[in-house]
Amino acid sequence: MATATIPRTGRMGVTLDPALLIPVVGAGVLIYLAVLPLLMLFIGSFQAEVAPREFVYTLKNYQAAYASQYTYSTFVNSLIFATGSAGLTFFLGTLLAWLTERTNVPLRGIFVPIAVVPLILPGVLESIAWIFLLSPKFGYLNVALMTLFGLDSPPFNVFSLPGMIWVHSVGQVPLAFLLMVAAFKSMDPSLEESAMMSGAATWQTFRRITLRLLMPTAASVLLILFVRTLESFETPALIGIPARIYVYTSEIYLAFNEYPPDYGRGGALAVGLLLLSAVGVWMYTRATKEGKKFQTVTGKAFRPRQFDLGPWRWAGFAFLMTYFVFVVLLPFLVLFWASFLPFFATPGWDALDKLSLDNYRYLYGFRPFWDALQNSIVLATLTATVAMVLTSLVAWIVYKSRLPGSWILDFLAFVPITIPGIVMGMALILLYVAFPIPIYGTIWVLMIAYVTRYIPYGMRAASGSILQIHSELEEAASASGASWWETFKRVTLPLLRPGLVAGWIYICIVSFREFSTSVLLATGESRVLSILLFTMFEQGQVTVVAAIGMCMIATLLTIVAVFYKLTGKIGIQT
Amino acid sequence: MRKFSLVLLAAWFFLAFGPVSGAVSAQSLDDVHKSALKEGGTLNFYGTLAQVNAERILPVFEKRFPGIKVNHVDATSDKLVARAVTEARGGKTLGDVLQIPLENVSQAYDQGLLLDTNLPESAGYPTGLKGSFWTSSDLQYFIAAWNTNLVKKEEEPKSYDDFLHPRWKGRLIAEPRDLEMLLAFAKYRFKSDEKAIDYWKKIAAQNVEFHKGHSQLAELLVAGQAAACLTCYSHHYPSRIKKGAPVNYMLSEGVASINATAIFKNAPHPNTALLFARWVASEEGQKVMAQGGRNPAHPKVQPVEKTRTDKTYFITVSDLKEFPKYDKIWKEIFRLR
Repeated sequence: MATATIPRTGRMGVTLDPALLIPVVGAGVLIYLAVLPLLMLFIGSFQAEVAPREFVYTLKNYQAAYASQYTYSTFVNSLIFATGSAGLTFFLGTLLAWLTERTNVPLRGIFVPIAVVPLILPGVLESIAWIFLLSPKFGYLNVALMTLFGLDSPPFNVFSLPGMIWVHSVGQVPLAFLLMVAAFKSMDPSLEESAMMSGAATWQTFRRITLRLLMPTAASVLLILFVRTLESFETPALIGIPARIYVYTSEIYLAFNEYPPDYGRGGALAVGLLLLSAVGVWMYTRATKEGKKFQTVTGKAFRPRQFDLGPWRWAGFAFLMTYFVFVVLLPFLVLFWASFLPFFATPGWDALDKLSLDNYRYLYGFRPFWDALQNSIVLATLTATVAMVLTSLVAWIVYKSRLPGSWILDFLAFVPITIPGIVMGMALILLYVAFPIPIYGTIWVLMIAYVTRYIPYGMRAASGSILQIHSELEEAASASGASWWETFKRVTLPLLRPGLVAGWIYICIVSFREFSTSVLLATGESRVLSILLFTMFEQGQVTVVAAIGMCMIATLLTIVAVFYKLTGKIGIQT
Repeated sequence: MRKFSLVLLAAWFFLAFGPVSGAVSAQSLDDVHKSALKEGGTLNFYGTLAQVNAERILPVFEKRFPGIKVNHVDATSDKLVARAVTEARGGKTLGDVLQIPLENVSQAYDQGLLLDTNLPESAGYPTGLKGSFWTSSDLQYFIAAWNTNLVKKEEEPKSYDDFLHPRWKGRLIAEPRDLEMLLAFAKYRFKSDEKAIDYWKKIAAQNVEFHKGHSQLAELLVAGQAAACLTCYSHHYPSRIKKGAPVNYMLSEGVASINATAIFKNAPHPNTALLFARWVASEEGQKVMAQGGRNPAHPKVQPVEKTRTDKTYFITVSDLKEFPKYDKIWKEIFRLR
């Protein structure tokens, strides 16, 4: 465990100057970003408009949100969606991680990067690709299976709760995979070896030792997956709303977006979702702390041992291949194929005649596409930069400055992790539509939203690196007469670079894919690619959407590659 | 002395208000263009115009009036009104022009968001196609359409009655918000609520599948999600058929409703808004609308594509107040929420 020892003594000269100003400014910025919108939302949830711009305080919104005829179905749908997705994602992620990390399945090495690839596919595109594949009647997989086995009805229907669970899960698997890989990697094999020595079979060892050791990690991963599903809006928007299966996020969206807009009810629903997610995150942090009892990472050097699956390793290989083909490759392929079609058509010889570059040619002259592309690139790079600068400063204050009350900053920087994207969008609309600074409707309000949402990610990347830097380096600089700023710029920052770069790339990717906050905030000139995809999909230009998706993936890969080249070799940290 | 000051007051009034209200009608579009340019050259256009139409209409406007850029905020009509209401609630007006179905335009008017205007260009429009705060921009025809791969030639529908045949069971799609169909059937097709409700109940028994958004509905029909669509827009089909999509549509009967243009009260660019509203209502603008694939409202302009039905059940302004009533019945019939 990397824990920093912060010396009690030492020259305060390093921190004296900013001691008064920087933490206060930092706290001010964080309160402005994370707390103010929530406050607006909270107040709004108790307000009812009696006349234009005249409000009274009431509990009616909560009654409308939680005691209506739809309350129960929304609750049950959300619960099934989140539990099902968390379970399925965890199962797939763990199986992939175990097969690639801890067994002797052939060619397992190449599956590690492959399992992470879907991170590049934005959630909106993931949902669209699966609609193309699993839509009853015209979904490619359904049509193929019906022809192959002579079925009368389609075996799958994506417009259902199981469909939503599947689509959301496959998009989340990389996250579960990475978390579980880390857990498997850090496991001391001596416990398993003892079991084997005592005569336990492979399966028995796996069940009674490996699985039990994994319990705390598993619990926390399941919890975080549950919370993330509850907060997600891509699948509920693209599959849930057309199928009329509503969950909390879609209810909030509809309360805000249908006439007459009901901010009170939307606000009350949002406060509920926020509380649920806060409880989830709190339980998660508790679970990860509890995990220390099961600590397996020690100073001892070891290599996790591999399970010999015997002939079963071919079954494992078959599973990995199936996963690769159906879950990773197929969504990309179907989007790629559709991007050359004039309209969505089932595959066949006659469809081959229709293939053309028309969609790409169309995009070339399509101004909204270029505007959205520009917005997305500007937002992703700026957000990543601002968030990393801000969080490295905050992390430095929290972990290095030894100032009293710096834990408050730590706490404030953690708050946004509990805010679901759609709730953030709603809170920011309520805040900025009435705000004296005219940024509502521009990309700046989106940037504020993204920066706020990704502060916790930035904090993780920045604090991880900061904790590893011993104070003596900074103290040496200050002893040699460097000012606080010079020390930060010339000593701390260069040492932080690898962690910051990893954080930058991650935030850049997630900002570029962002959908659930943007859906309420991005309009007209401030529209970003994910929202352009959504509106054009709603307008039925599905094959153009596929072409935009291809361009989006290409852009994302380019940004990452360029940044990677510019900053040297580092890995993506999640 | 007192008399003199009254005269003076009257003269002041005339100078202050007379010429301005007169100017609205007297000013040419080019004069309005000049005033619009002084506002910064942006038009915030809140409109449901689909991309396929917008890209053939808005650039023509921008070219006709150089220096003006259209910022098209597009979403479904209820989302656009909801957005405008939200903005007004925060004390802001960001939209200049609203162009959505008349029903939703009236909702915005009820919220006090729209300006009462009398455009000189709307003088030639029949009374049913203009009001104190709106002028019709185009008409849309709700029609039935089908996938030609899934419907045999001899089974193609000739009228809405044909959809009662058992062969359509489980093969129909529709838009969940199209209560206009029920209203128009009740008031103009059957001239009886009872008969109309009976008809749609029989249709409901055919297990209709609902999808939001007419463009998406058309695309689903092309892809083969259903054999036929009951509440599609006629103007969505000619372009798709031209591309080779396996669809066809029925023009023997249908329901027509009005899309309208209105100007926001306190619009940030009032002259630019006026310029657009006047242009789109003018014969010139209506021709562009027609070429952009819409169904013009101007009495002298014909649609470019075949989109008007032979027998049309026209939803009029006076029908708007009955929307809530039919909305309720429509939702009950199809068990929609």
